[in-house]
Amino acid sequence: MKQQLLALVAALGLVVGGATAQAADTVKIGLMAPLTGSWASEGQGMKKIVELLAEQQNAKGGVLGKKIVVVTEDDGGDPRTASLAAQRLTTQGVVAVVGTYGSSVTEASQAIYDEVKLPQIANGSTAIRLTEKGFKHFFRTAPRDDEQGRMAARTIGKLGFKKVAILHDNTSYAKGLADEANALLKSSKGTEVVFFDALTPGERDYTAILTKLKGTNPDVVLFTGYYPEAGLLMRQKKDMNWKVPFLGGDATNNVDLVKIAGKEAAEGFYFLSPPQPRDLDTPDAAAFLADYQKKYNELPPSIWAMLAGDGFRVMVAGIAGAKSTDGDKIAEYLHQDLKDYPGLSGPISFDAKGDREGEVYRVYQVDAEGNFVLQKL
Amino acid sequence: MEEFFQQLTNGLAVGGIYALIALGYTMVYGVLKLINFAHGDLFTYGAYLGLTLLTSLALTDRLGFALGVLVLVLMVMGLVAVLGAILERAAYRPLRESPRLSAVVSALGASIFLQNALMLIYGARFQVYPDNILPTATLNVFGLYLPLMRVLIVLASVLMMAALYLFIQKTRIGAAIRAAAIDQGAARLMGIDVNRVILLVFLMGPALGGTAGLMVGLYYGQINFTMGWVYGMKAFTAAILGGIGNIPGAMVGGLLLGVIEALGAAYISIAWKDAIAFLVLILILIVRPTGLLGERVADKI
Repeated sequence: MKQQLLALVAALGLVVGGATAQAADTVKIGLMAPLTGSWASEGQGMKKIVELLAEQQNAKGGVLGKKIVVVTEDDGGDPRTASLAAQRLTTQGVVAVVGTYGSSVTEASQAIYDEVKLPQIANGSTAIRLTEKGFKHFFRTAPRDDEQGRMAARTIGKLGFKKVAILHDNTSYAKGLADEANALLKSSKGTEVVFFDALTPGERDYTAILTKLKGTNPDVVLFTGYYPEAGLLMRQKKDMNWKVPFLGGDATNNVDLVKIAGKEAAEGFYFLSPPQPRDLDTPDAAAFLADYQKKYNELPPSIWAMLAGDGFRVMVAGIAGAKSTDGDKIAEYLHQDLKDYPGLSGPISFDAKGDREGEVYRVYQVDAEGNFVLQKL
Repeated sequence: MEEFFQQLTNGLAVGGIYALIALGYTMVYGVLKLINFAHGDLFTYGAYLGLTLLTSLALTDRLGFALGVLVLVLMVMGLVAVLGAILERAAYRPLRESPRLSAVVSALGASIFLQNALMLIYGARFQVYPDNILPTATLNVFGLYLPLMRVLIVLASVLMMAALYLFIQKTRIGAAIRAAAIDQGAARLMGIDVNRVILLVFLMGPALGGTAGLMVGLYYGQINFTMGWVYGMKAFTAAILGGIGNIPGAMVGGLLLGVIEALGAAYISIAWKDAIAFLVLILILIVRPTGLLGERVADKI
């Protein structure tokens, strides 16, 4: 028995030794993604994008003269699986981690990576608290929820609306966005908030609310809730012959919105959203999308998966820039030296908290055919 | 002042739907002293069956708008009525001699079953009625915007309620229902088949509730499998407000609740709309525990 155990330990030692010997001429980058579970399509997209980018980078000579190897772990879109996946990645000799998608899932892995000083860059996680905890090795390419509030206020200014009515639905997302926009609009000079209240989601008739809103005579209505209510509001607004423009948040970005409202009532609706992959406007992104289409015969599932690709490229830039695979040095480089890195989704820089600087949100408008059209503002 | 009248019409339109659903609660309570908690889900079935029939049979394309919708209403009424009868047979009749609490628990169970069955059949996403069926004309009367369909919905609701009231008050079968509501044992001694009376109540109430579901689907366009809960709660409140077991009470309660909600949203706060409606309910129940019209509960049905 003892001998068997010894043999086992020896064998394990050989495997681990072999792995480290191999690690000398490669750089391993971890990818944590929801390959299974309800977000699987996002996770599969993240994996395809990162693998294609790694292939392209290796064709250009890898990083620090070494080949890049992507080590993928499935987090299942579930916080408990994610902490296990994170622990597995930390034992596999990766020097940095890309991922993951959901905020709660990312949160479950943050402390594990930070403890072993592994830089992590999340892609779909927008919850504010993730970067408020002071982890030095945590970054994200996704915008923060409060950025959307700033974008809403700015868009209202740019479109020239003066009197704004704000309507939310008391969910923490919608209320937060409404509060943020309200504070900004109140403090800015040209605009005035004439209405601020919440509706009850799940009802069918919002005419009482619309009638009250109409009485305040706003130039625009900012609705921060979700698409089912947004669709009903627009449909009933049209029935009232009221032609005020509506602006919604990214929770209204859903094709069912147009079905519920009807094309005629939905036409002209503005909403904020990170760009759809096909609307990414850098030449870099266009080239990458063409390569992706060629290799996988489809388009990436969403912008959130594309942001994983940006995370990967930023990590490679960080390793090259720091001239080291040491986690502290990579993080320091990303915080201080990486400025306006040309990402697929636009220029990328990070602030002291690891949040992305600059705007990711775009303005979309529904056209007469019910398509979502990117606006140049 | 214009806004006040606009809100009044908004409230009446919503209240008409509440009233139509409330009739089902009040009739079942009148005869069986049972709150049929699955009634809101029968309302949802009306909306879903309507959508399925509409899209699979293309009634409005073949028969024109008016006739198509009429046939659709009759089909939905019939199907939901059958569903109501099955519900009575499966969930309530076996428990008729049991303590009242058993039947209430059975009603809650039936509600959960019906809701989940709907989710498994149609999926959890919102379903959407095609938006080109109904005429979208809007009348403009002295500055009030009255979409034609809302006017028609309120008219149809009031007509159906009035027909039901006359049926209960003026016909022999109506008299049998009223008799069973007062005392089932005595009614049986008078030669009334109480089981058939109860079956009839479970055909009529769901037929009206299903029609309300169809109206909501046709007019608002968007339906989902949980919507019966909100409407059921409101209609139940309306029935209590008017005096449960009392048919004119359900009508008055429904319309009043709709108006209270609309005016509460307009002049107090939108977010507190439901709280205001329930506060009014509590106040009325403190002053008049039987509800507004609920004096002689039993013989009014």
